Amino acid sequence: MDKLVAQYSRPPHQNEMYSEQEQQDLTASVPPLSLKFSLPPVDNHSAFLRAMTDDHSNPSCPIKLAHGTTTLAFRFQGGIIVCTDSRATAGNWIASQTVKKVIPVSRLSRGEDKKSNEPTPGLLGTMAGGAADCQYWLRYLSQQCTLHEIRHKRRITVAAASKILANLTYAYKGYGLSMGTMLAGMTPQEGPALYYIDSDGTRLPGNLFCVGSGQTFAYGVLDAEYKYELTEEEALNLGRRAILAAMHRDAYSGGFINLYHVKEEGWVHHGFDDMNPIFWDTKLQKGEFSNVTSAL
Amino acid sequence: MTSLMGNQSGTIGYSFSEPTSANVKQHSFYPYTDNGGSTLGITGADFAILAGDTRSTSGYNINSRMVPKVFKIGGDDDTGEGATIILSVVGFAADGNALKEKLDTVVKMYKYQHGKSMSVSACAQRLSTILYEKRFFPYYVHAILAGLDEEGVGALYSYDPVGSYEREQCRAAGAASSLIMPFLDNQVNSKNQYIPGSGEGHALVPKKAEPLDKETAKKLVQDAFTSAVERHIEVGDGLQMLIVTREGIEEVFHALKQD
Amino acid sequence: MAQKVVEAYETGSGAGKNAPFVPIVHESLDLQADRLLPSQSNPFDINGGACVAMVGKDCVAIACDLRLGMQSLTISNNFPKIFNYAPSTYLGLTGLATDVNTVSDLFRYKVNMYRLREERDIAPQTLANLVSSSLYEKRFGPYFVSPVLAGINPTTGKPFICGFDSIGCIDFAKDFIVSGTASDQLFGTCEGLWEPDLAPEDLFETISQALLSAVDRDALSGWGAQVYIIEKDKVTQRLLKGRQD
Repeated sequence: MDKLVAQYSRPPHQNEMYSEQEQQDLTASVPPLSLKFSLPPVDNHSAFLRAMTDDHSNPSCPIKLAHGTTTLAFRFQGGIIVCTDSRATAGNWIASQTVKKVIPVSRLSRGEDKKSNEPTPGLLGTMAGGAADCQYWLRYLSQQCTLHEIRHKRRITVAAASKILANLTYAYKGYGLSMGTMLAGMTPQEGPALYYIDSDGTRLPGNLFCVGSGQTFAYGVLDAEYKYELTEEEALNLGRRAILAAMHRDAYSGGFINLYHVKEEGWVHHGFDDMNPIFWDTKLQKGEFSNVTSAL
Repeated sequence: MTSLMGNQSGTIGYSFSEPTSANVKQHSFYPYTDNGGSTLGITGADFAILAGDTRSTSGYNINSRMVPKVFKIGGDDDTGEGATIILSVVGFAADGNALKEKLDTVVKMYKYQHGKSMSVSACAQRLSTILYEKRFFPYYVHAILAGLDEEGVGALYSYDPVGSYEREQCRAAGAASSLIMPFLDNQVNSKNQYIPGSGEGHALVPKKAEPLDKETAKKLVQDAFTSAVERHIEVGDGLQMLIVTREGIEEVFHALKQD
Repeated sequence: MAQKVVEAYETGSGAGKNAPFVPIVHESLDLQADRLLPSQSNPFDINGGACVAMVGKDCVAIACDLRLGMQSLTISNNFPKIFNYAPSTYLGLTGLATDVNTVSDLFRYKVNMYRLREERDIAPQTLANLVSSSLYEKRFGPYFVSPVLAGINPTTGKPFICGFDSIGCIDFAKDFIVSGTASDQLFGTCEGLWEPDLAPEDLFETISQALLSAVDRDALSGWGAQVYIIEKDKVTQRLLKGRQD
């Protein structure tokens, strides 16, 4: 009898609903690392992906992803300067001029940047290569860093955070991810720390990095003027000037100069400013960029 | 294939004794169709507009003249009532539909589980992860999401096919995006405009972008599409416009040229 | 070294959409072939550049950007693409920079010869046909240029504009003509901003806004612009301050 009751007391439309697992999939915000990414039904999915999305090897590919960038970061006596452009291109088309390529990686600084001179604790990550790859995995890293903070009651070191990201890109090696990231932060254990991580699985600590299609132009300016003993103001200006040079000469860099300074208490945002007025000021006041005609 | 000859010399043998151990050839896998069309979104201080043409094409053929590209998310299945968020998808219509269905389910599930509607910013980030889940087999779509943020200000988020996203004032996507976007830069964000009489030469002061009012925005959307229709074969037939305000979502249709 | 066949230039899309399908065979060293391969990209897109012409009331305008690049690298920001062939006849040339130079010089020669023979300036309509037939002479190995012509007929005083594909098909238009790597963007801005019977000053504003907004959405053109406003007996040349990125 109990069996009979049990049989008929089941909700009538049980099977029409989403299963427990399906419900979880729909509410979980991040797919777990165990690869819940759907793959195309072909042998060689990275070849498929390349055929569909790599506009360098196949200019008429159907899905054009955002690429092209100049980003730089360097260590100096007062901390770390992080500076980027803001352009996203798909082929020759400028998809956006307002991309935020510096992503705060910390629990306390999620969401939109607020206008404030108070330093915000946490790390900074920069974005070069595939925009979605960088956004997604830095968000994932942010989650991991927060979990670390909860588990260990102290902030994650830059070395550890960069290792999480590098392990990840290494695990996905060959899948077609495209990212060149710099992680900058300052912790009591390490002092100012700067790492370069890319989608090949490379992870390098260093004093000075430029990443992206305009990297050579930025290196040109940076190498000429850089020294560790720079004052804070000199360092900020150098970062800005290096990005300006890259924006000017590299077709795939441009838009706004996004400038950050990482110091002991956290990072400070020093503006997201249109390059054009800055360029003309630099030219007309300081007499640089004499290659550009200014007679109107 | 087993061979009776010890050494497979290749010169002698049966006519169809090609080695079957050779790599199995796969049929070329091309799962996408470009269904053309274009979408466009503009926001203001208290509204957000998403618009799209209603033509569906494949190659030079027109499949249909009435396939909407803008959808209400999280509302009643038939009437769309109760929705506060809208989504436009352009690219491959099947992928776009699948994406819309998925986001719709997610937003509803969120409502049932949390007892409140999803905010646009939350929905925006969720859409990003949905797109990224198919990073290695992407949805062939350019999505735009719109609604009102926590302060009641128009919010618009634009996406690339694998989920990189950004909040913007206006965005055009799809076949005619390259025609519409520079026009919008000029008219909505006042790019390259200077205030007359504010100075001479380098002293001219650039014009600052002001938030548009709703009627101006609607006019601009119509202008943008009538222009796009003139110069792009994949755009035309009808213009569907969804306007989100505090009062709800208004839907408007206009005719476009059918040639 | 092995003979290398570099794939036919892809001329099916983008700026060179009107261009013919031309198989090009390179016999070259492997090393050079490697260098050529990335520029398997469209020859129309290597150097970048944009040009537009518009009709107004008793006037025409023609404008171009100033960039010369090699793919992503900007080489020069003072490379005007508009050339003068008669007091009120101008020709804009976008595409491969070497061909822009060659073709502009070729027409200077041809127009000078015309002037010596006929003892009068060439009319825009005549130049249009000269351009067309000259380009078609190279039907199977074309110059990679998309010309735009603007002028006022010296006898009738009527404005005239037209455009060409790289093998000389003339596109007569009553409103505007666009060409270059930003042609899609220019179509959009021109279609949105242009209206009939604009006075010279309004035409200047319209063509300037259309060009600047268009090139700001194209990575390969911009870096300043040049505008010519052509009236019956007066030509005004202006340099525009554009974004330098």
